[in-house]
Amino acid sequence: MKDRNNTLDWFMLVMRRDLILSFRRSATYLTPLIFFLIVVTFFPLALGPSQSLLSSLAAGIIWISALLSSLLAVEGIFSEDYQDGTIDQYFISTEPVFVLIFAKVLCHWLVCGAPIILASIISSLFLYLPSGVLFALIESLLMGTFFMSLLGALGAALSLGRSAILSAIIVLPFSIPTLLMGTAIMTAAINQQDYSGFLLIMGAMLAIGIPGLCLLTVEAIKLNYE
Amino acid sequence: MGSPPFFYRWSTTFSPWLALLAVIVFSTGLFWGLGFAPTDYKQGDVYRIIYIHVPSAILAESIYILMAVCGFISMVWRAKIAGMLITSAAPIGAGFTFIALVTGSIWGQFTWGTWWVWDARLTSTLILFFLYSAIIGLHSSIENKAKADRAVSILAVLGVVIVPIIKKSVDWWQTLHQSSTFTLTSSPSMSPDMYQPLFVCVLGFYFLFIFMLTNSLRGEIIFRERDKLWVKNQFFEQER
Repeated sequence: MKDRNNTLDWFMLVMRRDLILSFRRSATYLTPLIFFLIVVTFFPLALGPSQSLLSSLAAGIIWISALLSSLLAVEGIFSEDYQDGTIDQYFISTEPVFVLIFAKVLCHWLVCGAPIILASIISSLFLYLPSGVLFALIESLLMGTFFMSLLGALGAALSLGRSAILSAIIVLPFSIPTLLMGTAIMTAAINQQDYSGFLLIMGAMLAIGIPGLCLLTVEAIKLNYE
Repeated sequence: MGSPPFFYRWSTTFSPWLALLAVIVFSTGLFWGLGFAPTDYKQGDVYRIIYIHVPSAILAESIYILMAVCGFISMVWRAKIAGMLITSAAPIGAGFTFIALVTGSIWGQFTWGTWWVWDARLTSTLILFFLYSAIIGLHSSIENKAKADRAVSILAVLGVVIVPIIKKSVDWWQTLHQSSTFTLTSSPSMSPDMYQPLFVCVLGFYFLFIFMLTNSLRGEIIFRERDKLWVKNQFFEQER
């Protein structure tokens, strides 16, 4: 067998393992997707089917639903690996752990975040989202759901073995910039203004968030080994 | 300063003087502001709520910054007392944030005619309150208090990165959506005889906070170190 001394090899190894595990159990990628669609369906039921009302609220509704479902999905990201000792192996390996954690989060986002983005395209038809802003929606959700996965991973690490609602309380206040940025992009797109500035800020947040949040997540996981 | 026993003994002599100072400055500021400062020609006496509202709002933010600094210290140098400081400061900070929100709301009802406006300032203060709640909630959920301190310090450090972003993003969000009819930021240029009591009030609130924090921290230290020898010596010396 090939000698695995390279961090990139480890990265790919973790990715591959997690992808295989998630595809063998359909619940991992179907549950957040169905949750997203159910939440989106609840808004017309609660607010009434008026087309003009839903059309003006569509972007916000889709964003809130995407945030909540990607947060709920990421909640149990570490619990199984912590129990069966996989995380122990990360720390035993001489590789930088935050890279491996990043591989886990990236894989999780591919499995759970990407289907939500596809579902948001369908729900934009349900909610009469103004045409021509679908691309802005996808762009903003691509970065927004990834940032939520990173934040949610930190919340999951901090509340490892505790209730899911605690994780939500921890993470949701910190997700407000993402939500505001996302809705700012959508509002600008609907008003046919240039939204690239907000998109760049969101990208900058993600660029800081990837190393920063992964490092903090490692610190949070370490707490469980004391 | 770093070791809990030292802080405890040092604060035993320090704390009463701090209490005296806090009472003097706090009551001077309040009496001056509520009793002797001139009445506003437009708002009448309602404006006097500023002498509680503004100091609490300033403290709400200062305490969060203090917690973030302590979080960094506790993460990097593993100083026990820094973690305890976060634990003691969080409920006080949440309290001041709550007071700032409630007094602001009452003031808003009398001057703007509404309890709440989704203005940038108000929204970001509300979010600050949620951040305090998140920290208190996380801390109370972890049984091992030393572990809870470190978990909370991670959150406090994350907060200091994200609070400026929240402030900025709320500003952008607000300007993009609609321009608010009222803003707290453009305060009327105050006359000195209104401004001076406000300054004393802010100072008084700070002293009050430091006194509350010291006392709360003393309690926390005794609770955490209740099995240590120095605590037993401290309290049971007379009985031996």
